[in-house]
Amino acid sequence: MNVHAFDLADSPPLDEDGFRAFLLGTTAGGDRLLAFFAEETAPGSILLHAVAGGSVPGRYAHGSVRVSDRSFRTFTDVCPATHWFEREIYDLFGIVPEGHPELNPLRFHESWPKRFFPSRSVSAPAPDPRRGYRFLQVRGEGIHEVSVGPVHAGVIEPGHFRFSCAGETIQNLEIRLGYQHKGTESLLRGKPGMKHLILAESTSGDTAVGHSNACARLLEVILATPAGRAAEDRRSVALELERIANHIGDLGGLSADIGYLFGAAHFAHLRGKALNFLMGLTGNRYGRGLNRIGGIGPCASRAGIEGMLDGLRQLRAEVERAGSTMLESPSVVVRMEGTGRLLHRTAKTLNIVGVAGRASGRDVDGRRDFPSPCFLEFPPGKVLLEGGDVLARARVRFEETLASFRWLTRVIPLAGSRRADPPPGPGSVPQCRTLAVSVEEGWRGEIVHAAVFDKEGEISTYKVVDPSFHNWPALSFAVRENVISDFPLCNKSFNLSYSGADL
Amino acid sequence: MLEAFTGRFRMGNTAVKLPPERMPEAYRGVPRLGEEFFRGGTAEKCARACPTDAIDPAGKTVDLGRCVFCGLCEEACGGNGIRFTPDPHLPFGSREQLVLGRSSLEPPVAGVKLRSLLGRSLHLREVSAGGCNGCDLEAQAAGNPNFDIQRFGIDFVASPRHADGILVTGPVSKNMKEALVETYEAVAEPKVVIAVGACAASGGVFRGSYAVENGAGGVVPVDIFIPGCPPHPLSIVYGIAGFFGRYPKKVPAGRPR
Repeated sequence: MNVHAFDLADSPPLDEDGFRAFLLGTTAGGDRLLAFFAEETAPGSILLHAVAGGSVPGRYAHGSVRVSDRSFRTFTDVCPATHWFEREIYDLFGIVPEGHPELNPLRFHESWPKRFFPSRSVSAPAPDPRRGYRFLQVRGEGIHEVSVGPVHAGVIEPGHFRFSCAGETIQNLEIRLGYQHKGTESLLRGKPGMKHLILAESTSGDTAVGHSNACARLLEVILATPAGRAAEDRRSVALELERIANHIGDLGGLSADIGYLFGAAHFAHLRGKALNFLMGLTGNRYGRGLNRIGGIGPCASRAGIEGMLDGLRQLRAEVERAGSTMLESPSVVVRMEGTGRLLHRTAKTLNIVGVAGRASGRDVDGRRDFPSPCFLEFPPGKVLLEGGDVLARARVRFEETLASFRWLTRVIPLAGSRRADPPPGPGSVPQCRTLAVSVEEGWRGEIVHAAVFDKEGEISTYKVVDPSFHNWPALSFAVRENVISDFPLCNKSFNLSYSGADL
Repeated sequence: MLEAFTGRFRMGNTAVKLPPERMPEAYRGVPRLGEEFFRGGTAEKCARACPTDAIDPAGKTVDLGRCVFCGLCEEACGGNGIRFTPDPHLPFGSREQLVLGRSSLEPPVAGVKLRSLLGRSLHLREVSAGGCNGCDLEAQAAGNPNFDIQRFGIDFVASPRHADGILVTGPVSKNMKEALVETYEAVAEPKVVIAVGACAASGGVFRGSYAVENGAGGVVPVDIFIPGCPPHPLSIVYGIAGFFGRYPKKVPAGRPR
């Protein structure tokens, strides 16, 4: 249920009104937009795909529309979550979404040739040159701008933030990314193979397991080599270990940003312990090398995971103690409460997913809505808060960490005693044009991989959607009316991936 | 408040001893080339399995500057060809020094002047230039209480003006090239450049993409490369401290730090 293949012959393109109605209907019915991307089916011939789902477990809906190679009318009016996706399509193909509220290039900076659109074939008619980037100008007495990045003060990824402030107060934050753009999707075309999994692991270095699980299942559904249950169990165990390690790390990061040094040191230490469980399972601190197409690698299938239980129990006790000490400390609470509030309404409109969504009262969890076999049998613990502020995002992380520990304690004894899977079968390649979609709830939120396979079984278009791609705009809304000195704290509370968004 | 203090007290000193006593068996660290690798078609078999073209079957070498330590070669040609050992002391140095073959080059040591100036107090500005964030996380972790790179007087600082050198990660995306060069130029002489990870050495898994420079070497003058994808924090500690001749060869048991 966490992966689905559409035979594109059964899902012919809609007309523009039909596509608009599809987007409106599916999101009004409780589905959320999973992916929105363009495919060039022949030089100059452009097909837009939208995949939505999640209103009931395992539901996927697909709609597509043919558009001209110059422009289409924006769909942000019926589905605001297409906002960044349309900018991405403009970047890659040079097709203008007319009426888009903020059409700035997402990834290509001034140094790039103005007619360079990497996904548009050279034989297609030449598009208009790329527009320059225009920052929003806030006018008024005493308004000043503060610009930060791309190289940040910490040991983190690059991005540019431009604040327009009145005194200390942020009136507007414009986020300009693209510095991490390395053409990942362009490297994912062609014959499916191990290189896809290696690239998936490097989509966002802290989410190697999440992206590689999503990618592996997508390739498996196409090549008809599904992983066995023993492998699936271990994939899910690795996913939860990754969640625990990153949530602990984030609690440490939040501590550091408010000068709560006990937390910063202690959580950094505990994060290392959590990563060592992934190391024991996969041979790498981030879970790289876990997956193969059709199963998992020899290191992960050999690992005696029952041996982890004692260590996990111990780690859980330490995390519980450190986490409650932190979140019950008045100086911590007073600093986080009410800071960087993301309203439920905004989160819903922008389709904010994962931790940030659940801290703003959005009941979305890919493990429940697109369950893998293991999560279908053992549902994840539910964590949902309403506050939408930094404190709520910290609490969601803490509660989810404890929920993952509980989940692992239940699942590991069963997963450890499962008989090894038989080797994967020879598989086959699809005989028709197919769109495959795979969803995995990474620690940050919902990861979506989608790919169009042609009749020869080669990938013609590969789309990766990291949860950060949905969530970056939320940061701009959350910091409004906050003082600029709270920005690092707000930013850390989202802890979004630059690499995952820039691809 | 009291809980925080007792918690901190209970945590104690968590810094790992150097060199580390025991690494998890599963960890894929330094690869060892067995006799089998140099015989018959083994190297070809390994090379076919390699997703990043790190293995040269003709020259019978493995380029750790391209290797992502995925272990696929070990699976393909058996443990007698290539075997990954749980040793975090990955060879570092110039680009050529990352190439493993029959004979491998010794890691370099900084010149006397550089060592006397920076050997006991080295402040680095980190520049993440188009990677996946994996190496940045490990550089960050090198400074945490477990790996404690500060014990060598090495620290990360916020501005290149406060730094003695830069630590670069990532294949250098075209969008980060200018920022990397400007950060490098903002550091006062004498300065060092440390490139961390397979991407910074060769472009790594992103090699050949339209959007990257295939490593930091062509953009700024790199003093040492540290391989890995990402390198373990101990490999980073070993590389930097080793370059300044500070990495301990052997620590007497029980000696407090």
